Amino acid sequence: MATLSRSAVEDLLYAEALILDERRYDAWLAMLTADAIYWIPSNGPGRDPTREIAIVYDDFERLSDRVRRLESGLAHAQSPPSQTRRLIGNVTVAEAQDNAMSIGSNFLLYHLRRGRERIFAGRYEHRLRCVEGVWKIAAKKVVLVNNDEVIDNLTFIV
Amino acid sequence: MMAEKLDLNTLVEDHRVHRRIYTEPQVFALEMERIFESGWVFLGHDSEVAAAGDFKQVRFGSQPAIMTRDEDGAIQVLMNRCMHRGATICQEERGNARHFRCWYHGWTYNGRGELVGLPYPGGYGKNFDRSRFSLIRAAKVANYRGLVFASLSADVEELPDYLGKARYYIDLFMDLSPQGAVEARAGTHKYGYDGNWKFQMENGVDGYHANFVHQAFFEIQGKRLGRRVMKLFNETSPLESKDLGHGHSLLDTAPRRSSPRLVSNILRGQVPAEIGDAYVQSLVARNGEARAAEILAASNVNLAVFPNLLIIGIQLRNVIPISFNRTEVFLTPTTLCGVHEAINVARLRAHEAFYGPAGGGAPDDVEMFNRCQAGLAVKGAEWLELSRGLERETVGEDGVIAAHLTDEVPQRAFYKRWREIMCGVATAARPSVTLAAAGS
Ligand SMILES: [Fe+2]
Repeated sequence: MATLSRSAVEDLLYAEALILDERRYDAWLAMLTADAIYWIPSNGPGRDPTREIAIVYDDFERLSDRVRRLESGLAHAQSPPSQTRRLIGNVTVAEAQDNAMSIGSNFLLYHLRRGRERIFAGRYEHRLRCVEGVWKIAAKKVVLVNNDEVIDNLTFIV
Repeated sequence: MMAEKLDLNTLVEDHRVHRRIYTEPQVFALEMERIFESGWVFLGHDSEVAAAGDFKQVRFGSQPAIMTRDEDGAIQVLMNRCMHRGATICQEERGNARHFRCWYHGWTYNGRGELVGLPYPGGYGKNFDRSRFSLIRAAKVANYRGLVFASLSADVEELPDYLGKARYYIDLFMDLSPQGAVEARAGTHKYGYDGNWKFQMENGVDGYHANFVHQAFFEIQGKRLGRRVMKLFNETSPLESKDLGHGHSLLDTAPRRSSPRLVSNILRGQVPAEIGDAYVQSLVARNGEARAAEILAASNVNLAVFPNLLIIGIQLRNVIPISFNRTEVFLTPTTLCGVHEAINVARLRAHEAFYGPAGGGAPDDVEMFNRCQAGLAVKGAEWLELSRGLERETVGEDGVIAAHLTDEVPQRAFYKRWREIMCGVATAARPSVTLAAAGS
């Protein structure tokens, strides 16, 4: 049965965190499967996206558009860009099947833009899938602690 | 500290406004008093308090209040302040409660705000009259097609008269449902910015900014959909901006989509064809072909209702002033009653693409509000120019002023009303306020 050890899972999450902190968005897209979903629920834990508005509910196509826009030089809410550093911990393997795993982790994300510092915290839920021998992200759900509060700008990739 | 007399009348002219309406705390305080505490204010949708006991916290400017449905099914708007010693009596943003209890000393109120629980009543004298301690209630509460407005002053026009010509567009928005009703129970986007509340009200009906602020979104989405979205917002656009009176205004998208078949085709990209066609048929069945076409033409309305409501796309947008340089904005998407679920899912996903704190459009608008507030610190350039299209305005028989989509008709409409309220006839006795010298 092909699964990853927890330390291999952690390596994958750390690699993703570094890529996002460095805003290498094409490298991030390359970590995703073609049917990937990037989901940031609004107003709570995120139960049913067909009945709830989300802060983000992107399929791969929409995510590609998001990245194109972020890199266009015309995404004004990212001009100047968000500078971030994130710490990931409390990694748990929720489910491990052949070639598919569900991973939970906590994150603390430091954010700086125009001299204003903010801290975001929450839980990542990654669905990983092994595609032709490479482990990829098939779904990423970001449950922000403050997703029912006023958020000024969340236009970076969380 | 230097103090000076400033005539509010001199801050707003027909085609320009002074930077001080955005930068003076004293002007903000007067706006709260004269606009948000004296006139109709949008609070929410009645489906947010669908059942008896449902409540939602709301605000009149900086004053906290509760919108709730009482046991008789009436919507009550109660100020969130215990009549004993002042604590707020409602803590959750939303919920369901038979009573509101102040946990400081246990005073308890029912859904009509009456004091029904007074712990250890023996300590109060025989003449203590509980009825004098009901929660403060909004003087007027009214519901127009599900939109709940309230006023802290009884001295206001009836709501339908106040809404005036905006009612026609609100009707179209609600009639997109084959039951003539929408629900606002799918959550809320909440964002804020370090700028004045009026920037958001100006921007929601600004046809001039779209091709600049949203260029990247339009180009990338346009490529994906094979549509040239930017043509809608350029100089040759057939669309219009309109002043509906009472400070209400509109970007009128009606000429764009006029036949049910056309809209059916637009839906086709988002929902299976048979679902789109069945939806259009349900509208035709209820309204007839002509009215159905009219309703569908308005499916992308940008409507501003003075002072704090924007209806854009599928959303009810509530603009909440916090201080002269801080604003919160709540975007509540609506779903249509009586349609296939797939249509409402498509509405939610379409809304997310552009709106909310991580959307592809709205955050770029918000960025401009932050930049405006920062730029207005510059002295010497005192005015913001709102004259675009002044010389090509037309006035219809119904009194509606119209000009090109990119013209600043809606912004002039807003400030016409602002000046009437802030320093007009009704308040002529108090047009001057003493302002501390700026920067001191
Ligand atoms: Fe915009």
